[in-house]
Amino acid sequence: MANVRLTDIRKSFAKTQVLHGISLDIASGEFISLLGSSGCGKTTLLRMVAGLESVTAGGIEIDDRDVTSLPPEKRDIAMMFQSYALLPHLSVSENVRFPLRMRGIGSREEQQEKVAAALETVQLGHLSERKPRQLSGGQQQRVALARAIVSQPKVLLLDEPLSNLDARLREDMQVELIEIHQRLGLTTIFVTHDQEEALSLSDRIVLLNAGRVEQQGTPDEIYNQPATSFASNFIGSANLVPVEITDSAQGPVAKLEDGQVLHLDPNEAIRGKATLALRQEDLTLSANGMGLKAKVRTRVFLGARNRYVMSLAGHPLRALTANDLDFANGQEIALAIDPARIRVIAD
Amino acid sequence: MNDRTENLLLALPGILLLGLAFFLPIAQMLLLSISGPEGFTLAHFVRFLSDPYYLNILWRTVRLSVLITVICALIGFPLAYIMTKVGPKLRLGLVVIVILPLMTSVVVRTFGWMVLLSRSGIVPELLRDTGLVGRTFALMQTEAAIVIGMVQVLLPFMTLSILGVLTRIDGKLEEAARTMGCSFLQTIRTVVLPLALPGIVAGSLLCFTLSASSFVTPNLLGGTRIQVLAASIYKSVTATPDWPFAAAQAVILFVGILLVLVPYIKLTGAKHG
Ligand SMILES: Nc1ncnc2c1ncn2[C@@H]1O[C@H](COP(=O)(O)OP(=O)(O)OP(=O)(O)O)[C@@H](O)[C@H]1O
Ligand SMILES: [Mg+2]
Repeated sequence: MANVRLTDIRKSFAKTQVLHGISLDIASGEFISLLGSSGCGKTTLLRMVAGLESVTAGGIEIDDRDVTSLPPEKRDIAMMFQSYALLPHLSVSENVRFPLRMRGIGSREEQQEKVAAALETVQLGHLSERKPRQLSGGQQQRVALARAIVSQPKVLLLDEPLSNLDARLREDMQVELIEIHQRLGLTTIFVTHDQEEALSLSDRIVLLNAGRVEQQGTPDEIYNQPATSFASNFIGSANLVPVEITDSAQGPVAKLEDGQVLHLDPNEAIRGKATLALRQEDLTLSANGMGLKAKVRTRVFLGARNRYVMSLAGHPLRALTANDLDFANGQEIALAIDPARIRVIAD
Repeated sequence: MNDRTENLLLALPGILLLGLAFFLPIAQMLLLSISGPEGFTLAHFVRFLSDPYYLNILWRTVRLSVLITVICALIGFPLAYIMTKVGPKLRLGLVVIVILPLMTSVVVRTFGWMVLLSRSGIVPELLRDTGLVGRTFALMQTEAAIVIGMVQVLLPFMTLSILGVLTRIDGKLEEAARTMGCSFLQTIRTVVLPLALPGIVAGSLLCFTLSASSFVTPNLLGGTRIQVLAASIYKSVTATPDWPFAAAQAVILFVGILLVLVPYIKLTGAKHG
């Protein structure tokens, strides 16, 4: 267990700068998620903490010790690679035992006990004698996870550890991760581009956008108070609608590009050009009720729910509804939203 | 036409060529080696195996071949490893340098070594002038000269065999090993070497067979006093000429190589699964 401190980390590959000054303070035992779209620099940042990538500028401390120029093997970390990186010439159990063996942790019997326990955790005890190439992608991923947790390092670095699992197994593994974290209290940096996963697992989420920290906070803060339009669009896939906010007799109103108006919360302070973030699940659709006029473009059946894609003032707008609501393509419908659920972001 | 006959048809030209150019001469050589004036005889083999002079030649051939192979592997592996880590341009340059000896004729190459290694050559002079050795000596006409010359020729086979395997190893594996507590050298030992083993085996097989059967370079650099088996075969054919005895020596060389290679392949193959 150890804290991790990143100070103004920058990274350039040849001429392109990938990370533009990232500072993070990670408390001992914290479970932190790096969340961001593909190519935003999550893996690069993780590799720098691991010591696999040189630091262009900035400093890294683990356990209050400067490790910026320390090689990976001296950092007491464990990393799970996006591509698993299982050693093909070793069996599953030998792979999981590898970090214990190389670090000289415990006797042979203790090592084997730990390996068995780690494999049990990821539900792979029965495959311990196989070679990695005889496993499915999801099974390989779980072996990699077992190998990462087995040595109980100071810092656990996980690069999209659950990306290749089916929905059911993924939920199981998420629960396992939470339990492992509660049991061992390892400082964990978890990389994902799945916002739900980040929301359900982390103590804190760090939202990255093009090599910068866009916003950080608890899952609740990130979800309910997105600070920027990028944050609100990325988390909860909110619809972003450009508007102009003016005062009226009934309080502030937002005027859409096609002239329709939407009443806002009376306490709303922002005026002028702004962006409204409308959550998909907050929109209420009706065939001929009150509200904004929108046109249905398509319906996507999601099982428990329907997603309607509409067009509002020329922009696509997505809404999640109960699956018994049935509109035809091209139909004009009314769209209502509780003013308290509207998030206004100043431009 | 089913798959089997199709495969057979495709393999046919190769099989024919092998049969005509390889198996036929080998069979002829075998027959020749056991033929005497009055029919079947093992006299040629007995003559070879009971004469310390020839046994010495056989022992020298095997010993030098093993030594040359080991040196090639010791130089070739790090060289190939470095090649996988440098940029594509530098790698191409290194490959060209490594295979350059194969592009020069054996006469030119050997003449170059003569200039370097003979009594008044650069290497002995340099060693004497720097005080590393007391008096002048010749490196020419020694086993050392044979080893040096052969390593230069065979290094490309070893290096390129290993390079082929190394380039297919995922670089992430080495990084993963580093995050699991391996130092650089431990990573080489526990990850790179085991995975490069097929390439090292293939390169060693090539080096060993080629050096055991090579004849021009050892003959020119080792001189007539230090003979290897291939040179002795050549002498039997041209000087005496004693074709059956030459054939017997060739069979012994052939069997000798097999005796070394088969256990080697079995051993390394079994370890690698
Ligand atoms: N070795 C490299 N050389 C040059 N550019 C690189 C290198 N590694 C990464 N990049 C660039 O850095 C950026 C960030 O890459 P990174 O792998 O960190 O993304 P990521 O956030 O992990 O994405 P993903 O979710 O797809 O895994 C990308 O634009 C990528 O093209
Ligand atoms: Mg990545």
